Amino acid sequence: MTAGAALLRAQDQRPTFRVKVDMVVLSFQVQDNKNRYINGLKPTDFRIYEDGILQKISTFAEGAKLPVEVAEDGSTRPLLDTKKDALPGMDRPDAFIGTNVFVLFDTSNFMYRGFVYAEDAIADFVRGLDRADSVAVYTFSRNLSRAASLTHEHSEAIAGLRKSVAGDDTALYNALLLTLRDAAKVPGRKVVIVFSNGPDNASMVAPDDVTAVAADEGIPIYVISTSEVNKDPISSASFRRISQRTGGKAYWAKTWQKQVEAFEDIREDLGNSYTVTYYPVPNPNEGFRKISVEIVSDPGKKLRVHSRPGYKPSRIGP
Amino acid sequence: MRAFAVVTFFALTFVSSVVLGQQDLDQVRRLEASGDTLGARAALARAAAANPNSLPALTAYAEFLDRYGDPGCREAYAKLLAALRNSGDSARVGVIAGRLVALDLLAGDRDAATRDLEIYRAASGKNVSMGAPRSAPGTEGGKGLTAPIPGPMRSFARMAAISPEAAPEDIFPALARNVVTNGYQASHSNDALEQTEYLKLVHRYLSQARELTKVAGEAKVIKVENCESPTVAELIRILGFRMRGGCGSEVVLETVNAARAFLTTDSGFPVHELEQALRTNRPFTYDYRATDVPVTFGPEYWLGGGKEKESPDFLETFISDPSICRLYLGLSKLDRETAEELRKAVAYPRLKAYAHVLDFFGGMFETRGGKAQIPGGQKSAAAWTEMTGASPDKGADFFDKLISKDDGWMASLYDALARIHGPVQEYLTDPTRMKRFYSAVRGRITSPGPARPVFRSNTDMMLLTTRLRLEINGKPHIPGNLEVWKNLFINHPQGKYDGKLTRLATTWKEPDDVLEALFALCRKAVENEPLKIFMAISDLDRNRAAPLDPATVDRLARDYRTFGSQYSTFSESRSISDKSINQFLDTAEAINKVRDPMFRSDVAGSFQALVGLWQILVRQGTIPDGQADAVFSGIASGFAAVKSDRELFDTSRNGVKLLLAAAPSKPGASTQPQGRMVELLAGAAESEDTDARDQIAQEMNRILEAQKIVSLDTLFQLADHTEGVGKGEKLNTALVSKFTKSISEIPMPRASLTASEKNAMGFGYWTDRHIDAERKINLRSAIEKAAGDAVRLSEVRGLLAPMLRDTLLGFNYAHYAPPGAQVLYTNPVFVRSHDFLGMQGTSHTWRPTEMYGTGWPSNAGGRLVGSLSGLAYALAEAEQNFLIPAQTQALIWGDLVPQMILSAKIPRWWSVSSAQVHWVGLHLRYGREMAGGSAIDADLRAQFVGSLAMFAPPARTNQVARLLEDGNVKDALDRITPSELFSVARDLGPKRKGDASCLLAEMVQLQENSKDVNYTAISRAFGTPKPTLANSYEPDLMSLRTFPALMGYSSRIMAESWESNTLFWAALADELSLTPSQLNVRIPEWTQKLVEQIFASHLEDWPALLKSLRLVGDEVRKSARAAASDTKAALQESPNR
Repeated sequence: MTAGAALLRAQDQRPTFRVKVDMVVLSFQVQDNKNRYINGLKPTDFRIYEDGILQKISTFAEGAKLPVEVAEDGSTRPLLDTKKDALPGMDRPDAFIGTNVFVLFDTSNFMYRGFVYAEDAIADFVRGLDRADSVAVYTFSRNLSRAASLTHEHSEAIAGLRKSVAGDDTALYNALLLTLRDAAKVPGRKVVIVFSNGPDNASMVAPDDVTAVAADEGIPIYVISTSEVNKDPISSASFRRISQRTGGKAYWAKTWQKQVEAFEDIREDLGNSYTVTYYPVPNPNEGFRKISVEIVSDPGKKLRVHSRPGYKPSRIGP
Repeated sequence: MRAFAVVTFFALTFVSSVVLGQQDLDQVRRLEASGDTLGARAALARAAAANPNSLPALTAYAEFLDRYGDPGCREAYAKLLAALRNSGDSARVGVIAGRLVALDLLAGDRDAATRDLEIYRAASGKNVSMGAPRSAPGTEGGKGLTAPIPGPMRSFARMAAISPEAAPEDIFPALARNVVTNGYQASHSNDALEQTEYLKLVHRYLSQARELTKVAGEAKVIKVENCESPTVAELIRILGFRMRGGCGSEVVLETVNAARAFLTTDSGFPVHELEQALRTNRPFTYDYRATDVPVTFGPEYWLGGGKEKESPDFLETFISDPSICRLYLGLSKLDRETAEELRKAVAYPRLKAYAHVLDFFGGMFETRGGKAQIPGGQKSAAAWTEMTGASPDKGADFFDKLISKDDGWMASLYDALARIHGPVQEYLTDPTRMKRFYSAVRGRITSPGPARPVFRSNTDMMLLTTRLRLEINGKPHIPGNLEVWKNLFINHPQGKYDGKLTRLATTWKEPDDVLEALFALCRKAVENEPLKIFMAISDLDRNRAAPLDPATVDRLARDYRTFGSQYSTFSESRSISDKSINQFLDTAEAINKVRDPMFRSDVAGSFQALVGLWQILVRQGTIPDGQADAVFSGIASGFAAVKSDRELFDTSRNGVKLLLAAAPSKPGASTQPQGRMVELLAGAAESEDTDARDQIAQEMNRILEAQKIVSLDTLFQLADHTEGVGKGEKLNTALVSKFTKSISEIPMPRASLTASEKNAMGFGYWTDRHIDAERKINLRSAIEKAAGDAVRLSEVRGLLAPMLRDTLLGFNYAHYAPPGAQVLYTNPVFVRSHDFLGMQGTSHTWRPTEMYGTGWPSNAGGRLVGSLSGLAYALAEAEQNFLIPAQTQALIWGDLVPQMILSAKIPRWWSVSSAQVHWVGLHLRYGREMAGGSAIDADLRAQFVGSLAMFAPPARTNQVARLLEDGNVKDALDRITPSELFSVARDLGPKRKGDASCLLAEMVQLQENSKDVNYTAISRAFGTPKPTLANSYEPDLMSLRTFPALMGYSSRIMAESWESNTLFWAALADELSLTPSQLNVRIPEWTQKLVEQIFASHLEDWPALLKSLRLVGDEVRKSARAAASDTKAALQESPNR
């Protein structure tokens, strides 16, 4: 190999080997029987099981608060103080503060009539996010476009959003997959919020394959549509399934202007989420692993936990 | 980092402070020849620095940098020039000053060029000069030749779907093209055309822009002092928004008029900035100046020269009349002198009437000194005069008659003949022959003409003239013999092609009779099957040691409809025999007779997958050409008689053995079939570069893993074990369990297909059954049920046949996996879902690979259907929408992107030498050098432009000529593609023996000293595969003019005519001292970046592609040099590393 070749390789950012760190990130919300969020719970209040096997929680965070490292005895200490001992891949400790929100905006033909209203709605949604949250705005039609990269500056995200251009075909699931791939590279808690009415007419990948990637990466998908989506039952069913299986939710109001409740609900979900990380205890099951969250301090099972149902380990990714 | 250590050592010890001697130069040469160009460079740099007055040291260094395209060469030459001037060697001063002038102009440094030109003049005694820059095309003559476009150009470009990077003179042609192709549609209610949504939006945008222009006032700037300003209300009303919340931090702009707001957003008006200004109560300003854009002949001409002369609405008039746009588009394709002559000689309404002919066929029209430049030259002049009714000596009159003759048929012949050159053009423009063939094309009824449809419809004629091959005796090559073609036309198995031709065929006596029939069929709107057969078999013969037997040709011709898409397979090896081809066809026919669809699918899939692997290994040179035929024959013959799953498994396994045995094994090679196969596909047999090879092997293994492919090792061990059990061995439960675990990981396709959808399409039924059957394999149970019976146990391995099919298929998919490979990583049953049968009632088994099921969420994602003949292209097509354009939506995507990915994945560069890579680099640099020299040397310019004219259309050639004359070398080179530059250097190099260029000297020397440095080898190494145009995946450089989008072939042929990428990458690799094997990794990556950077206005926007190519090249250079400098700094910090 010549020196030039060596140098070029050295500057190449694409890793030759990808070591899969099997840390699992799990976000969930706790609600009572009146759907009120329950806050203030501690790491010791939870037991996380995978296929019934108890897991040891590594870090714990509530809402946009600073994450804490959880010791063997259940005691905690701030994660940011332990920068040197940070978890693998955690080169940005502040990534664990707040949520990394990836907005995916459908700019295809199907959105033509509601394009500007949807844009206004997204701008409102971004404005309403917690200041600790980072946000990226992606748009898609046949291809994905990164209108605004992940940023703490919500204003930059809106500026990117306002530069989006109307497109033609709808490759929603292709775009969702690419968004998930980007989100997966970011440490910390992340969600994808899709603004689309469907239907998809150009994707090469199936919704369920994309769902599997989201579930494996622990990224909830929220889908916001208008009632237009009901014209295509396949899309509406697909949106429901994607959101349910990834721990997100699907909403459709009558018009884009009437999404206030959905936004409020999502923001509450984000603000009232608990996020834990753990390294799975050895488990012979290489198929789907069921996750369950038990609240120790709720012996009467009056509280409800909303989380993704599980994941499949070691999915090969590009 | 071994190589760099060598550099450092050498650089520190080699150079003395004395003059660089011959011995030292030889040492540098050796270093360079070993591939350590950075080492050689460092040594020469130190020598030059240590001996600032040494002419040999300075010369060696400057020329070295020049040969490798290093940007530092200009500075090095400048130092050399200074030293030479002190030495008094005026002859050398002249040469170096001349070279510097060229380099200055290439860098766009006109001041330096002027200074160096002075030195050149003084030293050489030549009174040469450099032209002065002229105004932009279309604006000569001052005012009146432009039209204003209201508002920012970028906004208009967005709305009109024009690349914001388009040059001003390209705006109106691009707009005209968009209006013609996308602006109008058939009305639902009457015969008239109605505007499309695209054009309505452009009109609405212009209206909004005029309103905003009023707001901008005299200053042409939209200004808002603060939130309370009186202009705010009017401004946001025009924009379609309203303020929510009072002035201050709560204010939000929200849509009130959706139509206006859409225009505002879509055109890129800075709404967010306005909103921010209102929130913070700060001023907002936005430059809203109109842009004056050049209009060919000026607006007056297009407005009919009448009353509307002063109309400010030229733009509105222009886009409201598609016939004006069509003429504008047509004339924009003509070279300027020709267009001007036509304008003067032909009335506007008449030109407008034939605008469609000009648009499609005017690109090759050329007049010089008032005379038409006709194909065939003087010898054909009388025939052209007779056919058109006007003499070529009267250029404008000639072209006037040409476009109006026979509804465009005559112009289409002219175009097809003008595009080619050399012996075939000579042959076809023979006066008698040309008239005869034209008469065949024209027929009795000329309507509809070839320029009537949306795309030009003379595709077949262009293909025929481009790909026709002449024998050594000067006659056209007719595959097989005349009898074969007579029989085909007279007794065609699927019916007659043409009644008249069938009758005439009985009288055929010579090759021209066949050609005449092929020309005659070119005018038919239906598919020209005989031409396709003729081209496909001609292409097979093209590279063969001996042409195919007439009997084989006859069979190929008759079987074309069924098996035609497989014929490119036979082009992979030059030595494939007639017998083997017939065996292949026998096997294919036998497979078609298999009644059980599942089994047929498995047999066809296994057979095609093995043939696919054979193709890859032969193409890579892994299987030596001497063995290619035997291996192919071995594979083909085995499958003809397969009747059961066990036989299928054994035959497939035997095919694997044949492939692996044919590849020479090196020490350290894997002994297991799985590892060995991956090694071979990754290029192990040919390359010592383990780094690049391992990277590719790793990528392949990851894909195989993602697709849950069971390894060959496991399958073969299981098969052997079942046989062993029959002989009394104990059941190896661990092995069986390993297999069971593997298949348990195979998911079912994630589909939610309704019963009605399934019934309607019958799509995916057999692939789902195939996967389901695989998942249900219970090997242990089958072995136990056989109860030690050897015969029954031998049948058990038949259960593994479908798995083996998928493993072989997986190798093919993994080898051709496009950059990113999102589908392969996301859909774990993508390979297994390959559908060799197609929809119910159809047979796709031997058809080209196609993508099915995209955009159908109820299905389990898209999948590939058909044979494997177009697998690489289909995979690229499936992947293209996963690429992320750097700028919103790239408009050039379509067939171009898959073809570019194909060109990055099919060729492999394991056996390419550094000398070959360097030779390509030298050609491109020598082409640039000649372009630079052309600015001050009229003779060289004439030579350069004359050569370029063979490869580029007249309009662009003449544009380059003008720019070179003006000394605007940089802009001229921006209009020349790398493949044109290569072809010009190839053409002119041998004709410029006295040229003192160090680049030419090295080109000649390399060719003399290395037997692998020749144009045939370069064509194979750095050409592109052209499956549609050349019926072969073998990379080839055809030096074609780029084709337009053609009817009937989508734009694949157009895409295949673009040959520049690989040449450009090779020159880049040479600059950066990359090893050739690294191209296997780099070229796919660079191609992905290239695609993501393209921002074109239309399908044929080659300048946009060129721009992206150069942009990626600059980025790669920049990051490589930055990394080099970092590494150097690191080494200086710790020299012992």
